[in-house]
Amino acid sequence: MLQRFLDPKILASISGLDLVAKTVVDGFVAGLHRSPDFGFSQEFAEYRAYTPGDDLRHVDWNVFARTERCYLKRYRGETNTQLTLMLDASASMGYTSHGITKLDYARFLAASLCHLAGQQRDAAGLIVFDDEIRQYVRPSTRQGQLSRLLHAINEAEARARTDFAKPFLHFQQFLRRRGIVGVISDLFERPETVIKTVEPLRFRGNELILFHVLDPEEISPRLGEPAILVDMETGRRLEVSPEYARTEYKRRIEDHLRELRERALAAGVDYFLLPTDRPLDAALREYLTIRQGRM
Amino acid sequence: MGFFAPWFLAGLAAVAIPIYFHLLRQQLANPRPFSSLMFFERSTQSSIRHRRLRYLALLAARLALLILLALAFAGPYVLRPVASASERSLLLVVVDRSFSMRAADRMERARQEALAVLGARPAAALAQVAALDAQLHLLTEPTTNAAELSAAVRSIEPTDERSSFGELARAVRAQADSSGAAIELHLVSDMQRTSMPPGFADLALGSRVRLRLHPVAETAEPNFAVESVMAPASIFDPAKARVQATISGLNGPGARRTVSLVAAGKVLETQTVEVPENGRATVEFRSLPVPYGFTRCEVRIDSADRLPGDDRFQFAVERADPRPLLFVHEARESRSLLYFRSALESAQTPAFRLQPASADQAASFDPARFPVIVLSDVEALPGAFEQKLKQHIRDGGALLIAGGPATARRGRLPVLEEKILASRYAARTGERFQTASAVDPAHPSLRLAAGWEAVKFFQVVPIEAAGGRVIARLADGTPLIIDRAFGEGRVIYFASSFDNIANDFPLHPSFVPFVEQTVNSLGRLQQRTSSLVVGSFVELRSSAEQGQAVEVIGPESSRALSLEEAARAQTFQFVREGFYELRRASNRNEMIAVNADRRESDLAPVPQETLALWENTAEGKPEASQAAGATRQPWNLWWYLMLLVAAAALLESFVAARYLSIEREVA
Repeated sequence: MLQRFLDPKILASISGLDLVAKTVVDGFVAGLHRSPDFGFSQEFAEYRAYTPGDDLRHVDWNVFARTERCYLKRYRGETNTQLTLMLDASASMGYTSHGITKLDYARFLAASLCHLAGQQRDAAGLIVFDDEIRQYVRPSTRQGQLSRLLHAINEAEARARTDFAKPFLHFQQFLRRRGIVGVISDLFERPETVIKTVEPLRFRGNELILFHVLDPEEISPRLGEPAILVDMETGRRLEVSPEYARTEYKRRIEDHLRELRERALAAGVDYFLLPTDRPLDAALREYLTIRQGRM
Repeated sequence: MGFFAPWFLAGLAAVAIPIYFHLLRQQLANPRPFSSLMFFERSTQSSIRHRRLRYLALLAARLALLILLALAFAGPYVLRPVASASERSLLLVVVDRSFSMRAADRMERARQEALAVLGARPAAALAQVAALDAQLHLLTEPTTNAAELSAAVRSIEPTDERSSFGELARAVRAQADSSGAAIELHLVSDMQRTSMPPGFADLALGSRVRLRLHPVAETAEPNFAVESVMAPASIFDPAKARVQATISGLNGPGARRTVSLVAAGKVLETQTVEVPENGRATVEFRSLPVPYGFTRCEVRIDSADRLPGDDRFQFAVERADPRPLLFVHEARESRSLLYFRSALESAQTPAFRLQPASADQAASFDPARFPVIVLSDVEALPGAFEQKLKQHIRDGGALLIAGGPATARRGRLPVLEEKILASRYAARTGERFQTASAVDPAHPSLRLAAGWEAVKFFQVVPIEAAGGRVIARLADGTPLIIDRAFGEGRVIYFASSFDNIANDFPLHPSFVPFVEQTVNSLGRLQQRTSSLVVGSFVELRSSAEQGQAVEVIGPESSRALSLEEAARAQTFQFVREGFYELRRASNRNEMIAVNADRRESDLAPVPQETLALWENTAEGKPEASQAAGATRQPWNLWWYLMLLVAAAALLESFVAARYLSIEREVA
């Protein structure tokens, strides 16, 4: 029996993102009930009798051969959906407290989503960014697209600082078709700034999903004694007491998460928090289940 | 400021230890990378600062603890003017309660005088009451409570001890030195001359003591007393017992006094004696017919003076049968037996009954039955007897060995197994004989034996004196008499014989006391005395009797020792007159009579000039302060520093507990 929930640490031990993605996707797909509406789009909907003027390309010739009647195969979407993943590769994504960094987790997530889109013949693209756009793979359904995506994901290294504004501005230039945009980041920015930055995409008819990847230690830090913390992006040092981490910091991070969720909801952006100690397939499954409910 | 023990300041180097550890701990706090510090704002520093402050407080507390400890052990002091100490003056009222205060109404007068002194003091003045006899007994703490002081004075009763002004001066000096306060000493006493110490320097009271004397007896009152009684502690023949009493007449004209010998409450004999003015007279009672066992006796006079307590002198006598003494000699030689028996029977108090036995017959006697055994120049002893004899001596028996030609043939001394060095005969051509040149008169055997230099020794059988005490030597240094311990017992070796052949000792007057004292000493008869003085100590148990109960029954027939004391106490001090019964281990009973020190009978006071001189030398004015204006005295700060050490330790514990509590909570 296939394992239902995959520990991120186990995924980290699997060499090759393609295998990781396949493992994750197969895992959670096998766990879902069969449903006509799962996935992103391009789902078979119904057969319709041919009427003159219809595009002959949509005729199901197999049915015609069996029944000698012309039926058109109808799909839910008129066109294939385009999935663009924006992967944050700033220095803060390199943080880990238990062996798997946030960037690793984000890689697995991106690879899994690309694999899922590939299975559904959706065009998938990727933008790796920090304060600049480091890597861009144009969305496509061409042969070998998944390999290119996985290679680009694999090449992503944590460095530099996060700056949402510049990559998103560029991204809007690349974006020619409407589709789904997934942002995978630790979102260490003011919620207002984050939402304001990504909101214009939403106005252009894109469906926007924020995958908020955080280390459990970032949500609930455990300090046994006063410690000097060094900001991985800025290099700033600060002496932090355990009392502060236990009380004030926790309150602030919870406020931050709540505000992000509320602002995303208000802007029609999907928000999904992914702690890196959570099994990835379980997280995806839960996410897709929630999305089905909304569609 | 100074230090009594400045070398302890080297301990200050220990402060490096907490500094090192705290610095080390700081260095160990390595920076930790964190994804973003956007939620750690500047305000967080207040918490850190607070924590750092606590950290510094902990370091400071630890440093303070070590520094204060080092300082405390160094014994710091500051010099304070004596004037500040003298502000705390103490009125010390000392009332003499010695035996002489029983005379007439001296005790009552002394109490009234003491109360008058206390009544005249300012109400806020600190006062203390003490009683004086052989020691100074503080009856109250320094207090302003008049009722407490008055009650203490009224509770003072005369004792049977003697007073000692030397002891008073020593105790007051010590109190003044320890308290640092000026003392105004009021001594209420009959100022007996006999209470003065041998040297006037012993009366020095120190610079902070001012002495005021309150004599309660101005003149030397006449007093008659039984000064001493010489009586045997043990009587074996009542007809031969002699009791000699000395009657003294002090500070008065001569008088005729009736002296009675009383035994068990019954007057046995009465004599009249003429006591000269300021002199003594001796009375001798020629018999003491007392029953077997212990008898309470006393010599009593009819003095009708003002101190009746010294008109009788108590003593305890034990009547018993003479003890058996085994005299072992060679069968063919009976001269030594003749001389030894004659000497023993001629003794003043024949305590032993001689049991003769030849060496061959000795086996039929059990040595354990004889407290003293004499081996008179024997060559061979039955083996079983010798073994028993050895064991008996080891267990506490006593043996007198006389060496002679037969002993020399044996080669080794019996029992002791000491090798005989030689059998030396004085050459007839040269010195025809030897004499004893060095005699130890402190030894009980030789205490009463005089005229040793006239004794001629023709033959001696010397042995090594190793491990023994040589109490007599011949002119050439040869040990003549050796006293040796053997196990728990004793052995005295006389390196010549008692047969009037090897020497002419039996013909000399010193032979009888020598034999009597030697066997008495070996039989431990001399350790007992018929009476003791108040304040004397008695040893309750020997080293072999540890842990065994000893009972002391006091003059009122009550137990003088608690249960714990009865099992553990080594000595007992007699503090009252009367008869004491001692029930020692192994059911050995003893009765001891205790009398007041007869120096208390002399009621003559110290001359006025001497008292005035004593008062003038103790005026409470320190010479140095008069010269320099301000005498400074070191004031020890040790206690204050130790209080600070305790406070620092508490602070350290508190801060450290707070410091560590966070780790526990989070973990």
